Amino acid sequence: MVHALEEIHRLLKPTGILIDIHPVAESSPIEIHQGEKIEPVGDLSVHQWCSDYQHADNALTEIKQRGLFIVEREGMFNSLTYYDSVAEMRTDWKEAIDKFARDAQSIDESLPHAEAMAARAETMMQTAASGAELVVGERVHISCLKPI
Amino acid sequence: MVIRTDPENNETRALFDMANFSGQHVLEIGCGDGRVTWLYADKAAHVTAIDPSAKLIALARQELPSHLQDRVEFQNNTFEGFAATCEPAAFDITILSWSLC
Repeated sequence: MVHALEEIHRLLKPTGILIDIHPVAESSPIEIHQGEKIEPVGDLSVHQWCSDYQHADNALTEIKQRGLFIVEREGMFNSLTYYDSVAEMRTDWKEAIDKFARDAQSIDESLPHAEAMAARAETMMQTAASGAELVVGERVHISCLKPI
Repeated sequence: MVIRTDPENNETRALFDMANFSGQHVLEIGCGDGRVTWLYADKAAHVTAIDPSAKLIALARQELPSHLQDRVEFQNNTFEGFAATCEPAAFDITILSWSLC
């Protein structure tokens, strides 16, 4: 990751900027939304199987300390993903795990928790009103860095 | 199946708080299916968007609107592979888009 950031520095014009967007290492709340009513399902610990965002943070810290980039601006926002069904949510999680999981062991360790959350959501969705949606939230960090 | 991500446009607002994309040459690393690319592409002069997943790049190309076809270029490549072929100081903005390189 540090080498990649060095390459990004090389590819940027001196007046250019790097924008980094990635979720922070927090649990993602799962909720059922029915109109104005919001029911919590639980928290998905995505970062049990995807620790690499922490590595990304560490790499950014290292290149800032080395004086390759300075942070010009930064902020946080909430990114919510809406699913009509638990099946949709499971499929999306599987794709995310395939893309981001750091190793097979971390998947094996995390899947029971994810499946428990999905099963709880399934039970709650069965009694929810028509039109209810599953909502998974992520807290996301965005920063603008200038090359030095 | 319709999955909606960030219909509140929080990410769009955050992105435009960070940069002015007008007339800029943008490199997006880890573009996936182009979800973030579509937020700013119509403002940029040119976008090179790369992702190592052939499946996701195919999806992004399918969704590429005709009016952006000469402005947005999707490449199925790793960042390492892309950077090896790239001249220095080529981009005004680089976006690490939920990406780990």
